Amino acid sequence: MSEPDISDILVDGRGLEPPEPMEKVLAALDQLKPGQRVRFLIHRQPYPLYDLLRRYCYRYETAAVADGSYEILISGP
Amino acid sequence: MIPAGLSLDQAPPIDVPLRFFLTAPWFLVLAAALSLWQGPAIFASRWLPATLALTHLLVLGFMAQVMLGALLQMLPVVVGVVVPRPRLTATLIHLPLTLGALALAAAFLSGVPAWFQVAWWLLGLGFGVALFAVHLALWRAPVAGGTVIALRCALAALLVTVGLGLLLGGFFGWGWRLPVVAVTYLHAAWGLIGWTVLLVAGVAYQVVPMFQITPPYPRWFVRGFAPLMAALLVAWSAFAFGGLETAATLTSAALAGGVALFALTTLYLLGQRRRKIGDPTLMYWRTGMGSLLAGAVLWLLGLSVPALGRLPQFELLLGILPIFGFAVAAINGMLYKIVPFLAWFHLQAQLFQRAKVPTMKQLLPDAAIRRQWWAYLGALLLSLAATVSPAVLTYLAALTLAATGVWLGVNLAGVWRIYRRTLREADP
Repeated sequence: MSEPDISDILVDGRGLEPPEPMEKVLAALDQLKPGQRVRFLIHRQPYPLYDLLRRYCYRYETAAVADGSYEILISGP
Repeated sequence: MIPAGLSLDQAPPIDVPLRFFLTAPWFLVLAAALSLWQGPAIFASRWLPATLALTHLLVLGFMAQVMLGALLQMLPVVVGVVVPRPRLTATLIHLPLTLGALALAAAFLSGVPAWFQVAWWLLGLGFGVALFAVHLALWRAPVAGGTVIALRCALAALLVTVGLGLLLGGFFGWGWRLPVVAVTYLHAAWGLIGWTVLLVAGVAYQVVPMFQITPPYPRWFVRGFAPLMAALLVAWSAFAFGGLETAATLTSAALAGGVALFALTTLYLLGQRRRKIGDPTLMYWRTGMGSLLAGAVLWLLGLSVPALGRLPQFELLLGILPIFGFAVAAINGMLYKIVPFLAWFHLQAQLFQRAKVPTMKQLLPDAAIRRQWWAYLGALLLSLAATVSPAVLTYLAALTLAATGVWLGVNLAGVWRIYRRTLREADP
């Protein structure tokens, strides 16, 4: 997993009712500048989001966090 | 990194699950039409042909229809496995299941063996394909958490239910020799407790905390409940068939206790939810779990007061509470979560950064859900009351059932209509 970067857009979707976390991530991706990343925190594996990211050729890395949630680092296509 | 095996396109095309979801509500309407046609006689006994036809319109046409469609949708998303050839698989399940449910209803109503034979082949094909495809996916699941364990138990129970159903179909269609009453009890118990309760439990472990924002089910419960219930069902079947009455009664009581525990746990969790605004599907969960609890308590009463268990109303109530009160409510509530989500998700996938996608609330407003729930609740209460005074209430119960079915069908079809319109407007 890459190190956090100060320019990352942080999206915290933990504890929100679906599909609010995905709505927030997609809104953040809309504002992504070249070289910038979205750092997405979520309480479960967001399989449907991965579909979308792959379809639009975003790169992403998922890391499991000790508290059972996941941290996903998304960068532009 | 992403665990291996999860990197394929996970979600099946939207028409795979939706064909099941958009068909199902109309079976509620068919069931209502049958009750109107048959009148109060339908509440005389669970063993009457028309009552059996009604039951199978509900359990096959509505329940199994949505449960199988939802499994095809859910397995990729929740478990991360892909069902092979989703469109072909869906067609080979949906079409024979729909026609088979109709044929079986016709068979019970007419008593003609040829109809039972037609239903036998259709349902054998539909469930055969479903069991094969879903089992294949489920045993390949990369993670074996509580949901996967419960789904495996539910699928094994479906296999038993369908096997016993086909035996009974053989009895009516070809005159196979079998102890038909004993097999019917087993068929119903495996279908309602093994397949339905365990499947709803496996799904509830995921969706109750997810959508109602409650604490998770206790770990011991998630891992232990389904295997224990499946083991109890096996034991109960063996005792009942072996004529060990006391042992069968005790196991039966343990099964009822287990069902009650699941209902109570879920009701407790729903009470702990962190969101203060009531979600409209919350009412469906509460009604469903309340009915399941009432069914379990009634069952325990029947075991301890045998005279009660011999009343015809007793068996009817033990059918209405788990089927219409529990399963139909849970499924109805889930449909309102799944269908708008699917439409929203597939629109996002196709229109991302190109056009504005309606929100879930725009796809299906809360007010429409609430109003249909009132019709559903009316139908449930009137059906329960109709077991006691069928002469007056059968027709009212049937009319409200028709209303709730039409309403559900219209609400879901509305989501589909907005989905199509949004796509059309984005790509004129």
